Amino acid sequence: MTALLDSPPYSARAELEFRAELLTLTEHHLDGCPEYRAAWPGWRPTDDITGFPFLHVGAFKTIRFVTSAPGMRHQRILKSSATSSGISSQIVLDKRSAELQARSSHAILADFLGTEQRPLLVLDSPGGLRSGTEISARTAAALSLNALASDLVFLLTDAADPASVRWEVLLRLLAGHESLVVYGFTYMLWTAWAAAELPAEVRAALQGKRIDFVHSGGWKKLEHLEVGRREFDATLTRGLDPRSKVIDFYGLVEQVGVVYPLCSEGYRHVPAWADVFVRDPWTLAPQDREAGQLQLLNLLAWGAPYHNVLTEDLGRLVSGECPCGRHGKRFEFLGRIPKAELRGCANV
Amino acid sequence: MSSVSAYSGSQGTVRVVLPFDLADLLAGWRLVQAAMLNEVPAEFTRDEWAYLAAFLSETNLRLPFARSFGAAAGAAVENGLLARPRGRVALWLPNNVSLLGPLMLIVVSLTGNRLRMKAGSRSEDLTGIFLDFVRRHARDGALAAYLADSVRHEVFSADDPRNLEMAAEGAVRIVFGSDAAAAAIDALPHPADSLSVAFVDRRSEAWLEPERCDDATLRDLIKVFAIYGLAGCTSPARAVLLDSDRRAALDLRDRLVDLWPSVIRGRPEMNLASDNLCALQLARMAGWDARLVADGRAVVSVGDHSLPTYPALLELRLVPASRAQAREGLPDNIQTIGHALRDASAPEWLDLLAKTNVVRFVPLGAMHHFETVWDGRDFFAELFTYTRVTQ
Repeated sequence: MTALLDSPPYSARAELEFRAELLTLTEHHLDGCPEYRAAWPGWRPTDDITGFPFLHVGAFKTIRFVTSAPGMRHQRILKSSATSSGISSQIVLDKRSAELQARSSHAILADFLGTEQRPLLVLDSPGGLRSGTEISARTAAALSLNALASDLVFLLTDAADPASVRWEVLLRLLAGHESLVVYGFTYMLWTAWAAAELPAEVRAALQGKRIDFVHSGGWKKLEHLEVGRREFDATLTRGLDPRSKVIDFYGLVEQVGVVYPLCSEGYRHVPAWADVFVRDPWTLAPQDREAGQLQLLNLLAWGAPYHNVLTEDLGRLVSGECPCGRHGKRFEFLGRIPKAELRGCANV
Repeated sequence: MSSVSAYSGSQGTVRVVLPFDLADLLAGWRLVQAAMLNEVPAEFTRDEWAYLAAFLSETNLRLPFARSFGAAAGAAVENGLLARPRGRVALWLPNNVSLLGPLMLIVVSLTGNRLRMKAGSRSEDLTGIFLDFVRRHARDGALAAYLADSVRHEVFSADDPRNLEMAAEGAVRIVFGSDAAAAAIDALPHPADSLSVAFVDRRSEAWLEPERCDDATLRDLIKVFAIYGLAGCTSPARAVLLDSDRRAALDLRDRLVDLWPSVIRGRPEMNLASDNLCALQLARMAGWDARLVADGRAVVSVGDHSLPTYPALLELRLVPASRAQAREGLPDNIQTIGHALRDASAPEWLDLLAKTNVVRFVPLGAMHHFETVWDGRDFFAELFTYTRVTQ
């Protein structure tokens, strides 16, 4: 268990403690996960944690990593949405990590949304909860908000159909509450809610209510609609209580439990129990100021070695204190690595 | 204006009747070739463009006739075979293809057959860009007329109804693609007497003897691999080091890793460098002894025939093996062996070719050279229909 979870998420960084806990976690995975060990033959601890063994995010699409250890109980499989490659990442969840991940999500999101318990409306169908051993990234992201929810309601009857919103359920909740949280994947929040033809009675009931919208999953599916963040946020909050917010968070299934909401100044803040490096994509040298490939670390993942993951996302570390008031490390998220194809022959 | 040219080979004399003057058509391609020296469309790499330009040499364009029918002969010979274009050719090109479309356009033009091409809908359409270029530079003459009257190029998806049209009207259906794609096209209603030419999933290997592993050979290996990586059917999916052991293979791996940046000088695209790092880790997890080339250019790994492999684009897999192991390890869908051998004409290699599915056995540096005898069939000859003439 990480003691750092007891501190406020965006406090000053305790680098020595973090390194010590990361080393323990790394050695745990080297001992218990043969694939992780094979990827880093002969690794020895270094003072600098940028030299600690990481896994490339793409490896999770090929290998279902499991770290075995006494008392370790693996449970469900978390699967990514596979929007780009058509292949899902698979993360094996375990009981011990799940508890830490829930505490982490709660602390991070409470910092942005407050601790008031409100109904949480999810633009998804409840089917994801019933699938037994597997859980989708969308459902997992929604559940990460659950600790802040007085009630959890899935608004769609068909997870793939933005037109399947149960508006009557929303109307009922609006009648009894002044404040709600709505979560959805970015494109779903736009297509099912912001750009949708809301029934007149729903529009009327929303007037003056405080709704905090939380979304994740990225903007790729909205590119063809040319919807920018400003328009997205303004459309969602039009007519609502002025305290209503739209929070876009960055997260990966390979970093479940640690999400990176965008702060009011446009940055992503790193909680005390996580870390972020930026690497030169070619030399892999750590970058202090230049943009490069984001590497995400956390102290929560015990059941499989997703505690230290090199992503295919680009970002840049930002020095100095953030005007938003949060302390510690922060970065800008710059999007996915651009794809260029290796042209092949006929048979691919 | 039609023309007749005669060839004399193993099947006697073949007179080829084309709907244009072949010399005029070749003159058109010469004009295009000359224009290619001055202008490179942005969508092509310089290597791709240079390869296409070299392919357009008149000597090379006359080769298919010589290979399929024999040496040029006097047209006055009266007995033998009369070859004429088979009819409409329907050509399905794959996604993620580079030069197959342009190369097939050139080859089919030599036969005079009408050509309808479907390019892949999920990749950059180099065929259309090349066709536009050729149309701009062919000027008047047989090539320009052929392109205007007989060539149709379209881009659509696998579920488009035009696939049905193409299958129904083609005297020849040529498919480059996966086994599944070829089977799907073959299942479309088509004339009973039409011909199917399917170029499906194939894999190639490089075979090297230790005595030939000098720097020049290693440079060839790097060049031939780096063009397409594991995405190419003619690329070496593995390099088999004959009569070598693991120690020698590891030494060779290290030499390749050191040599690579002097052969492939530029940095790879960012996503390829990232993919290569992933490939490095996956290869190690599968039991390969893998190293990353500087700046993430590629992965070079050492293992054996029994090790699993994981998806990768630029992982050159070195496998030390005895000759027997190398032969036994050939995949069923082997296409090309690119060789660096002391004596490629030795009887043991003839024996290998006679007893395996290998369909091309060429020097390492020629692995990607496209020919009209491909995947074990002379498809150029199949683009004609034949009349026996005896007087």
